[in-house]
Amino acid sequence: MSIEEGAKFVAAAYAIILAVVIAYYALSARRVSALQRDVDLLRREVEKREAAGSGD
Amino acid sequence: MGRRQFAAILRKDLIRELRTREMLVSMFLFVMLALVIFHYAFGVDEDTDLTYFTGGMLWVTFIFSALLGLNRSFAQEKDEQCLDGLLLCPVDRVTIFFAKTVGNLVFLLIIQAVSVPVFTLFFIERSYLADVGLFILVLLLADLGICTLGTLLATISMSTRARDLLLPIVFLPLIVPLLIAATSATTAIFADGADLGGLAARLGFLAAFDAVFMVAAYGTYDFAIGE
Amino acid sequence: MDVKKLTSAPALFAAAGAFLVTGLLLAFLYAPIDASSMGFSQKIFYYHAPIAETALLAFGIAFVAAILYLRDPDPKWDRLGYVSVRLGLLFSLLVMATGMIWGKAAWDAWWAWEPRLTTFLIVCFLYAAYFVLRQVVEEESRRATFAAVFAIVAFIDVPITFFATRYMPEGLHPVVITAGDSGMEGSMFLSFMISMVGMTLLLVALLRVDVAAERLKDDIDDLKTRMGG
Repeated sequence: MSIEEGAKFVAAAYAIILAVVIAYYALSARRVSALQRDVDLLRREVEKREAAGSGD
Repeated sequence: MGRRQFAAILRKDLIRELRTREMLVSMFLFVMLALVIFHYAFGVDEDTDLTYFTGGMLWVTFIFSALLGLNRSFAQEKDEQCLDGLLLCPVDRVTIFFAKTVGNLVFLLIIQAVSVPVFTLFFIERSYLADVGLFILVLLLADLGICTLGTLLATISMSTRARDLLLPIVFLPLIVPLLIAATSATTAIFADGADLGGLAARLGFLAAFDAVFMVAAYGTYDFAIGE
Repeated sequence: MDVKKLTSAPALFAAAGAFLVTGLLLAFLYAPIDASSMGFSQKIFYYHAPIAETALLAFGIAFVAAILYLRDPDPKWDRLGYVSVRLGLLFSLLVMATGMIWGKAAWDAWWAWEPRLTTFLIVCFLYAAYFVLRQVVEEESRRATFAAVFAIVAFIDVPITFFATRYMPEGLHPVVITAGDSGMEGSMFLSFMISMVGMTLLLVALLRVDVAAERLKDDIDDLKTRMGG
């Protein structure tokens, strides 16, 4: 196998690795920030309700 | 104290099954039918030499038969709530494990005792009587591994929603190394004959496999049995 | 505290990236082309092997987390275990993918029943079963307990499987040595080690992020319960 042919396979292998890894990280990071927003939102809601409840 | 409880649980399981023989009969029929299917699946014409497949055929059949038996015996336990009753008694969890493992081992051995001669009749040309002791050793060591892992995993899977569907999924990947060793040892015995020296590595591997998973089961069975 | 975790993950990811890119450059510019018949395609090894070892590291982390959970049923160990197994499985799939590409390049065959590919195939099925198991148990603490037991048993089986696929099947495939097994010369070794560090950092970064995500998910469930009550 010549270097050119070999290089194509090597490039494919590395490309797959980089693509998967970067995509996975990006998706995970995005999920975390979305979840963090939800948590903050819920936390404020809960505190509001609990304050209102105890105020009665 | 543990020994008496072990004996009691073992005897209960054995007597119950020997009385109805439902599970044993199902396992036996399964093995027989599998052998017939193997003949038609592989031996397309009269001359096909299946000698080098014999180990594989035998162990695939035994493993699936064992799964059947495990599922059945634990399903019964679950339905009749024997396990719950057992747990109420002051029995060491590990004793339950060993009793169940040995019980399953006995059932598997009974099935094998009947089906190996039939298998020999159907598929084996060469007499391996000279190596029969070795073969029995392979059988015992492999069976022990199958029953140890099988009992541990069946205890877990029976407590899940999927029950008997889960057991093959979790069990089969784990048993592959044992399968490899047992199959190559058995094929060696059936095909060319083998001696203790030649099989020493595989026997050692099987023994190590058994030891390792017995220890693992001993350490985790408390958690597997839950509650 | 969550904020701290989040900020360190990108840093780790960046560090991982630096190591991996360096390793890549070294692999192509510094290390020589493999003398064996594989030639240029051997270069795949510089990521393929580190990914494999990182996958095993992930499963090892799950093993430890499982033991810790059984000793002290804190959900954080279950989260760590779950995330580790998931990442380990992801890396294992990458090992298979790169291994198959390498196989096609080196021997012109997409698949061969050679020890490393076969073992990772089994490993993939093994840890896929972990997720099936989790799926069918409804009660949380039981799910975590069963998953922990399985993670322990599964990890014990991994080296056993490696051993079995390598040394037992006879007469089938002569064990085709993939370059990593023969001694590596200095420059190859350096490239390999740097990529190895990079992959490990990558694993840690991904673990951080995913464990944080799971923790937040649990927080949401708790908050929702409080709201409903």
